[in-house]
Amino acid sequence: MLNPVNKKRLQMDYVIETTDLTKTFDSLIAVNKLNLKVQKNTIHGFLGPNGAGKTTTIKILVGLLKPTSGSVKVLGQEVAVDDADSRLGIGYMPELPKFPKHLKGAELLDIYGRMYGMTQQARAEQIPKLIDMVGLKGRENDLIGKYSKGMQQRIGIAQALLNNPELVILDEPSIGLDPVGLVEVRELVKTISKEGITVFLSSHLLFEVEQICDHVTIINKGSVLASDTLQNVSGMISQSPVIHIELIDLSGPVIDAVKKLPFVSGTWKTGNTFLIQVNTRDDVRAQVSKEVTAAGGVIVAMSQKTSNLEDVFLQLITKDQGGKTQ
Amino acid sequence: MTTMPKTVRVHPSWFTRFWAIVRYEMLWNIRKKKFVAALVIAFIIATVDLALPAFLNVGHNPYFVATFSGGSFVFFLFGIVTAMNSISGEYESGTIVSLLTKPVSRTMVFLGKLFATFIVILASFVVIFSYSTIGGILVYGPQNSLYLVPLALVGDIISTFIWVAVVLAAGCISKSSLLALLTALGLFIALFLGVSVVSAFSNDAGVIRGLNYLPGAGASGTMNVTAGQSTTIANVTVNTVTSVSSGTDSIGSNVVKAVLFPNANVLFTHTNVLSNPPQPPILLYTEPISTIVLSSIGVAFLYIAVFLLIAWYAFKRSQILE
Repeated sequence: MLNPVNKKRLQMDYVIETTDLTKTFDSLIAVNKLNLKVQKNTIHGFLGPNGAGKTTTIKILVGLLKPTSGSVKVLGQEVAVDDADSRLGIGYMPELPKFPKHLKGAELLDIYGRMYGMTQQARAEQIPKLIDMVGLKGRENDLIGKYSKGMQQRIGIAQALLNNPELVILDEPSIGLDPVGLVEVRELVKTISKEGITVFLSSHLLFEVEQICDHVTIINKGSVLASDTLQNVSGMISQSPVIHIELIDLSGPVIDAVKKLPFVSGTWKTGNTFLIQVNTRDDVRAQVSKEVTAAGGVIVAMSQKTSNLEDVFLQLITKDQGGKTQ
Repeated sequence: MTTMPKTVRVHPSWFTRFWAIVRYEMLWNIRKKKFVAALVIAFIIATVDLALPAFLNVGHNPYFVATFSGGSFVFFLFGIVTAMNSISGEYESGTIVSLLTKPVSRTMVFLGKLFATFIVILASFVVIFSYSTIGGILVYGPQNSLYLVPLALVGDIISTFIWVAVVLAAGCISKSSLLALLTALGLFIALFLGVSVVSAFSNDAGVIRGLNYLPGAGASGTMNVTAGQSTTIANVTVNTVTSVSSGTDSIGSNVVKAVLFPNANVLFTHTNVLSNPPQPPILLYTEPISTIVLSSIGVAFLYIAVFLLIAWYAFKRSQILE
């Protein structure tokens, strides 16, 4: 028989839904009227530069912080700070997770399992499987104090999956992992998703999100800049190519000269890199190069890409930070 | 890769989750190095307690075991060691994030940790008291009031819990184990010195009585137990006049005295240490031992309740920024 909590969960459209979520710390606005919707059975990337408000948002989702205003629903339920039951269906791995050093890996999972109300039989079945799954077999009876950062990350993933959650929230799961670990975590996330679990994953790494996520939300300064399927967000700005030029010094005359070219539909600068969006499929790099050099610019590198998530990200972020030159 | 079994989600009872926290905290407490150190210190103190009167050739004492009590320092030590990191340590190590995102409420965490502290202190005191009881029988011969030992033990736990509550409150507010320790240590030293100075110089009955409302030693008096109180005890010369501290640190030993001599009065006197020539002590007031015990238990519970409430409220309200 379904208890009221489970009944409610069956009726929901989104596993995460925030409305005008705002969180301020004194004068700092960490999250600013954030509207986030995460669909069931997706791998949803939560992307933004450091300090964009990703961790603060996640801490509100799991009930660690109280929002200043706005509402949050997770698994169909309003989230309130200190509502223990609202966390029964959520698995969460904090950024750089820390666990009590005096406990052994298997002991930690056993005690957390008890908090979820797992029976002894369920714990005996689930814990060895998870330890195996995250690659900690043979080390489960070592004290966590003796674990490396990567191993703590692994036990962090195991504890997030302990309760067969409907939603797994991973805050920067790649931090502190070596290249092998990175690949393993990526595979793990895909496996979790195939089990029908929604994964909400924050990252400041574009390629990571691009490789594993099917949905993406880009935030900056606490607000959503874009949120859709990976495909739609990537194609959001334009289907036309973007030319990246790295210059020794990006000066005003160079920018003006490029903007005068008939096929240029937009320009953005980020540091000394100049992004030029063109409205033609022809290769116009020679013309651009000529114009830049004539205006006194010294080109270090130049490339042309069809727009991908990185372009969208850079364009959105630079626009948002007032770096738009157009 | 293995697939995970699909299980029907259970709704765990309050007690199941509470008990998980108790296990979590107990494993931590008994694996702390400082806890082992505190046990060793308590054993050394108990051994000195056992051996010292024997050196002084006291001989057979059938009340030795009943009058054993840990003493202020042991209470302070155990209170600090078991509780100083309990909640503030979770903030400092960042483990609070993983803990509070499990389906447990902060009240469950608080009560679970408190209960685990109680069990660890109870178990430690049972071991220490057993040692002292067996040692007492071996050194001082058969004891005739062993039933009083559990009473002294419960009294000592109440005394210790004042420090548990103080250190928890300081830790929950400051989120720092070091500040919690320093606050409790400062209070311990201030009370110790303050009470000693006031006792030595004040001849105001009201002020001396007031000392009983502070945690710690309280006022010191003497109890004359030969004055028609008890026939069995009258044979034992060492116990004819016994000193009594009326504060919360003496609940254990005072409960024992109150049971042995239910009608005894405690005399609180003042001697002017600065007078020349020396003057005899003047009587400030007398109070029945039973009243002293009841009021110190009342005072102790009040302090425990107030400090625990402060600790719980601070923990409940805190934002987890770690």
